[in-house]
Amino acid sequence: MKALLVCEYREGKLLDSTYELQAFAGQLGADSAMVLIGSEAQAPKFNGKVYLADAGKYGEYNPDQHKKLVLEAVAKENPDYIVFSHSSYGWDLAPRVAAALKTGQISEIVAIVDGKFEVTCCNAKMRRAVTPKTARTVLTIQAGAFSFTGEPHGSPQLEKLELADSASNVEFIGYEAAEQRDVDLTRAEVIVSAGRGIGKKDNVPVIAALAKALGGELGASRPVVDAGWIEHSHQVGTTGQTVSPKLYVACGISGAIQHLAGMKKADFIVAINKDRDAPIGEVADVLVVADVMQFVPAFTAKCAK
Amino acid sequence: MKILVCIKQVPDMESRFKINSEGTWYDEADLAFRMNEYDEYAVEQAVQLKEQLGNEPEITILSIGPDRVVEAIKKALAMGGDRGVHILDNKYYQKDPWQVAATIASYAKEQQFDLIFTGMQSQDRGSAQVGVTIAEQLGMACATTLVGFAYDNGTITVKRELEGGIKGVARMKLPAVVTCQLGLNTPRYPTLPNIMKSKKKELQTLPVADLLKEAELTATDKMYPPAKKGGGIVLEGDVGELVDKLLGILKGKTTVLR
Amino acid sequence: MEATREIYWNVGHGVILPMYLFTAIAFAVCAYGFYKRVEVYRLGKELNRLDNLSGRIILLLKNLFGQFKVLRVRGPGVPHALFFWGFVLLFIGTLLIMAQADFSDPLFHIRFLTGHFYKLYSLILDLAGFIALVMLFGLTLRRFLVRPEGLKITRDDYLMHIIITAIIITGFFAEGVRIAATELRNNPELARFSPIGLFVANQFAGLDDQSLRQMHKLWWWVHFILVMGFIVTIPWSKFRHLFTTPANYLFADQREKGTIATINLEEEGVEHFGVDKIQDLSWKDIFDADACTSCKRCQDRCPAWNTDKPLSPMKVVQQIGEAAFTNPQANLIETVSQDVLWSCTTCRACQEICPADIEHVNKIVDMRRNLVLMQGEFPGEEVMVAVNNIEVNGNPFGLAYAGRGDWTEGLDVQQMSDGATVDILYFVGCYASFDKRNQEVARSFIKICNAAGVRVGILGKEEKCCGEPLRKLGNEYLYQMTAQENIEQIKASDIKKIVTTCPHCLNTLGRDYKDLGLDIDVEHYTVFLDRLINNGSLSIEAHQFDYTYHDSCYLGRYKDIIQQPRNVLHAAGGRINEMDKTGYDSFCCGAGGGRILAEEKIGTKISEARVRMATETGAPLLISNCPFCLTMFEDGIKTGGAEGEIIVKDLAEIVAERITVQN
Repeated sequence: MKALLVCEYREGKLLDSTYELQAFAGQLGADSAMVLIGSEAQAPKFNGKVYLADAGKYGEYNPDQHKKLVLEAVAKENPDYIVFSHSSYGWDLAPRVAAALKTGQISEIVAIVDGKFEVTCCNAKMRRAVTPKTARTVLTIQAGAFSFTGEPHGSPQLEKLELADSASNVEFIGYEAAEQRDVDLTRAEVIVSAGRGIGKKDNVPVIAALAKALGGELGASRPVVDAGWIEHSHQVGTTGQTVSPKLYVACGISGAIQHLAGMKKADFIVAINKDRDAPIGEVADVLVVADVMQFVPAFTAKCAK
Repeated sequence: MKILVCIKQVPDMESRFKINSEGTWYDEADLAFRMNEYDEYAVEQAVQLKEQLGNEPEITILSIGPDRVVEAIKKALAMGGDRGVHILDNKYYQKDPWQVAATIASYAKEQQFDLIFTGMQSQDRGSAQVGVTIAEQLGMACATTLVGFAYDNGTITVKRELEGGIKGVARMKLPAVVTCQLGLNTPRYPTLPNIMKSKKKELQTLPVADLLKEAELTATDKMYPPAKKGGGIVLEGDVGELVDKLLGILKGKTTVLR
Repeated sequence: MEATREIYWNVGHGVILPMYLFTAIAFAVCAYGFYKRVEVYRLGKELNRLDNLSGRIILLLKNLFGQFKVLRVRGPGVPHALFFWGFVLLFIGTLLIMAQADFSDPLFHIRFLTGHFYKLYSLILDLAGFIALVMLFGLTLRRFLVRPEGLKITRDDYLMHIIITAIIITGFFAEGVRIAATELRNNPELARFSPIGLFVANQFAGLDDQSLRQMHKLWWWVHFILVMGFIVTIPWSKFRHLFTTPANYLFADQREKGTIATINLEEEGVEHFGVDKIQDLSWKDIFDADACTSCKRCQDRCPAWNTDKPLSPMKVVQQIGEAAFTNPQANLIETVSQDVLWSCTTCRACQEICPADIEHVNKIVDMRRNLVLMQGEFPGEEVMVAVNNIEVNGNPFGLAYAGRGDWTEGLDVQQMSDGATVDILYFVGCYASFDKRNQEVARSFIKICNAAGVRVGILGKEEKCCGEPLRKLGNEYLYQMTAQENIEQIKASDIKKIVTTCPHCLNTLGRDYKDLGLDIDVEHYTVFLDRLINNGSLSIEAHQFDYTYHDSCYLGRYKDIIQQPRNVLHAAGGRINEMDKTGYDSFCCGAGGGRILAEEKIGTKISEARVRMATETGAPLLISNCPFCLTMFEDGIKTGGAEGEIIVKDLAEIVAERITVQN
């Protein structure tokens, strides 16, 4: 079977998620080709066909035109699967391609189990096995669910894509930079993060104290940043920072996928949560089932000795 | 201006989920329901737009599901919606995103909405497809994952939340569909006079069979809790003991406390 | 010589006409002044505070003449009471003169101000006047010299102190000069029954008769004019409290303490809820401002004010009065400010101590109703989240409602939905159901009931938040919704008696739910345990321990349950070290008024202040009777640095540790 992988390109760079698509295709056992609206200089290191359209002409975000370009590649390649990353680019573009082809779409795949696509649901507390009913299917894969091992290598066989009609119904204006970060969590060796389970803003210092006792930095989940308890510069997750410390301690964090995506590459993960079924338990090396505000101060006290 | 807001009523995510008798969805017993969090932002943005335009626009709130979803529709009406449309479907979970979108598009087609707001995904199924698919089926412009929205004379400027905290700015002309991300605005708490008024607002009920003519393109085989990954240690018990145990583990397995 | 005196001596009967004329005019002006004020009271809504009139009149007479509420604070209270009684006696004295001189004597030739009666009369009045003068002097020193913090000095205070002092002094001068000219010469024996008058007389004894008579006329007229002046200023000065405060005793709220008006949400055409302008208040709310004399006893006891928050109950009451009289179109919420309104913990310390029976709390709740129901406002986003959690899952934590009864695992408790036969329904409440620390209290209570052979049932996942924090925050709508769900479940369970470990649930289910159709016996577990111990059903062993005890606001002030918990703790072997602020004077933990759901952002922490009061007793153990208090004190001990100095436990835990007989 054949898979057409849709690469992502932003601010002049090819995103690494491309190789996750490749890993997925490998697991699927499909021959793959790629399509990229980007630049030749950024063409993926891949021994296969890459349909390339110029982002300079068609824009980095232009769903209408990107859809048409992908459809061109589909017409040429005739794949069984069209695979996107489940990212802000992917979930925006994939349904358009699926609708145009009137194919089924399966979103946010985390695994292939018994030949079926496994997706998460209900805040990652549950799983579903989904099967397509159309000959061709659009798929989106969860960030980080399929890892590419080794170094990407290869020279792609490029084929240029052009559109006859360049009309579009969305105009891309540009990017707005994220706020200045005074905290660089990406270099931290130890991160202790606070989630909603800490209870209230007043309890943040307790978590910060543990971070300090362990010689690390304070992190935060999105809800805690949204509530104004901790500044955005400490946010760990897809819309914050992606980190890979030696030790990650998640306090009162349930484990929403957006947060997990930002920290599951940590070497050793400890989760403290009163809910023994919290999704974070899936990635944690140790899950301490306890009240955060009872456990953390006691633990900090012992660490400080 | 005619605005449509599509909302979904979902279980509260703190709930413990059990599988239903069909094996493909959650059992509704002992679950508390509420409006999908993403949809709250959609409703709020629509109401803010209506207020910006001097209350001229009419907002229709639409939801698909069994009778209980009327409560969510009423809450949206209390926030500022003008009329409600309940598409009655007791087996809503058996329809895939394509069918859900087709149902809504079927309704919306003759209504000629200028703007359709919806959440970027639902908290239960989370396919993030319906909003975009509606736009494609109706031939409308669409942008997703909004954390910024501004309307000016038939054109909307949107800010999309991208990974890493960057925002992508884009512009579209109406008619358009937008899907909303958490944090787009602060959903208002309905005032009591508005809650009282919402009880009298028009609520139309349509059977789903009248609107849905599409077959499913994907199917759920089964739903199940995730397999417990081996290797993870679960510690429970007295806090003092837990502290000592964890210290021991960290000293043994990491270099942090050396 | 005869023991009497000639009324109108020296000034002559010619003064009668002008005297009555001026008095009539003065009273007319005074009445007019009040009439104008009544017009302003009537800007507010109707409210019947004259039901059970005879009962009200009795209370009025008791409180007015007994001065009981004034005497609650001894320092200024005793002088005021004595001053008041002195003045009452003087007033009666004047009435007796009028009765004889202008009625009984000219009409019936009856004189009673003679002989022994007159001697007694003279003596009493002289002493009354003297005591009044001394007390007034003391109060003047207090206000103008000592200057207690927070006691403002206004133009009215100068007026009042000066004019009353002058009235008493000129009265004694007139008397003294008269005695100098009469009794001192003719009847010195009699003069001894007017000791003050005699003292003054002796100062003027050297003057000749004519000078004395001139002086007497002068003092008599000056005294008279001063009194007229006093009468005229009553409605326009703080003097009005002579009428408005006793009137407030008459108009006092006769309902159970803490009763709040239940809004009829079904009423057609009602588009406005809560209070944001004068016209939304009742006339009584405006009248309260006139009854206030700025004694600041409420402010002194307000837990918010005492932790640097901007709320002063006195100021709120007065701002309403000011608005009513000078700017009735004002937006009251903007005038008072949200920070002030949200700071209130509804602890009732203000109302409990107020000597004028002013109702502070409901005014604040009514303004909160406007903020929530009309504007969708909350003291903070965390409160809106908690409120939404109650709406979705019936508890402020947002935990799945299905798990509400999970704490009973392994315990002998029945679920009412199983059709159980039980002696009591235990209404657990959100905190005891879901909060780890408070679950210990629930478990202790079950253990005690088991030992006493009491069969306990709970509603389990069918139980919802009683709605109290919602109601106190002003969200009457959601309160009624959640209350109705509970009422339905309670009625379906066919239970006759409810016991609760939470004073807030106690008040709400026992009193507030009556307006929503549930009239049932609801008891706090401390009263329940007291009875079980007394009738021998529960046997506990007294293990001696030292402790201090916190009277929670909703048990102590609201429900007068002060002794029973102490009985139980005594039976448990406890030796109590009472805090200064105990019983009705107890100082709030800070969680009332819905504030358990909010973060304390202004000033210092109320919980830390109360914990400090506890540690000051030297007791190693603080005992509470309310889940909010327990939570606040655990917090306050940690954040206030009292860890290691004191621990806090609920009364149930103490009793459970001492059960001797298991049934």
